[in-house]
Amino acid sequence: MAIILILASFFGLGLNFSLLKMFWRGGFRQGFVSLEKYPSLSFITLEEAEELFVQSQAIFVDSRPRLQYLEGHILGAINIPYDEFNEAEVLKGGQLSFDKTLVVYCDASECQSSLALSKALNKMGFTEIMIFFGGWEEWKKRGLPTESGDGSK
Amino acid sequence: MVQNKYIIFVFRLIVGGTFIWAGILKIIDPLEFAQNISNYRVFSRIVSFFLALILPWVEVICGFFLILGFLRRGSALLLSLLLFSFLGLIGVTLIRGINIDCGCFGSLNRKLDISLFFTDLVLLLMCLNIYFFRLK
Repeated sequence: MAIILILASFFGLGLNFSLLKMFWRGGFRQGFVSLEKYPSLSFITLEEAEELFVQSQAIFVDSRPRLQYLEGHILGAINIPYDEFNEAEVLKGGQLSFDKTLVVYCDASECQSSLALSKALNKMGFTEIMIFFGGWEEWKKRGLPTESGDGSK
Repeated sequence: MVQNKYIIFVFRLIVGGTFIWAGILKIIDPLEFAQNISNYRVFSRIVSFFLALILPWVEVICGFFLILGFLRRGSALLLSLLLFSFLGLIGVTLIRGINIDCGCFGSLNRKLDISLFFTDLVLLLMCLNIYFFRLK
C-alpha cells in the first residue's frame, strides 16, 4: 500500500508543480478554478461589488434557489438558480446582456453555486463575469440595498 | 465471499476499470476536482487541494494493479478503504442535505444522491471479495 501511495504522490505532485507553486503563493483562496480555462472569471470583494452597484455598471445575478431569492436579494438582482440552470432559458429570459459585466453571488464564501454558475455562463460566451464571493451574507451585514419578493424576475 | 477465480477476475476488471476511468477524468482537471472536494464542506482548503492532486493517481494506479494482478491485495485494500470513506462522506452529505455534484468522474457531472451510495456499496463488496480471495 505504501508503494502505491508514494507512486501516487510522486505523479500527483510532480505533474502539477505549477499548481503547487500557485497554491503556495496564495492562489485559489476564493475557489479552485483555472483562470486559463475560464478567462472571463474574476473574484471581487464587497467593496468592488458595491462600487459596481453604485455606478449601475453591472447586472447582479443571484445563483441561489428561487425560495431564498424571494426571501431577500441584492436590489435589482436577477435570479438564475444554478440547480435549475438551463442555457436556453437564460437566453430566452433576455435579462442578461453579452456586453455587460455580470456580478454573480450566492450565500457566502463557502457556497458553490456562484462559481458553478459563472463557469456555465463563461461557456455560454459571457465575457466579463465577476464572482462576489462574500455573497448575500456580507452584503446584508453591511446594510447595502436589498429587496425581497419577485422584484426583478 | 465469492471463491470462483473467474468471477473474481471479472470483479477486478469492473472495479479496476471504473477507478482508472474515474481517476483519469480527475487527473485531467485537478482544480475542478479540488473544488468538488471543497464543496462537500468537510475538508479545509489545503486538504482539498492535496487530495485532488494525489487521490486520482491512487485510483488509477490501484485500478491498473488490480487488472494486472500486481499488488492485487494491497490495491484492493486501499480501494476498499477509499470506498468506505466515500460511503461515509456520501451518507453525511445526504443527511446534511447539501445539494452538490459528487465529483466522482471529474467534470462529467453526476449529482450526489442515494443511487451513488449503492453504486459505491456494490464496488466495495467486489473489492472486499478481491481482497479476501486468496485467504480461501
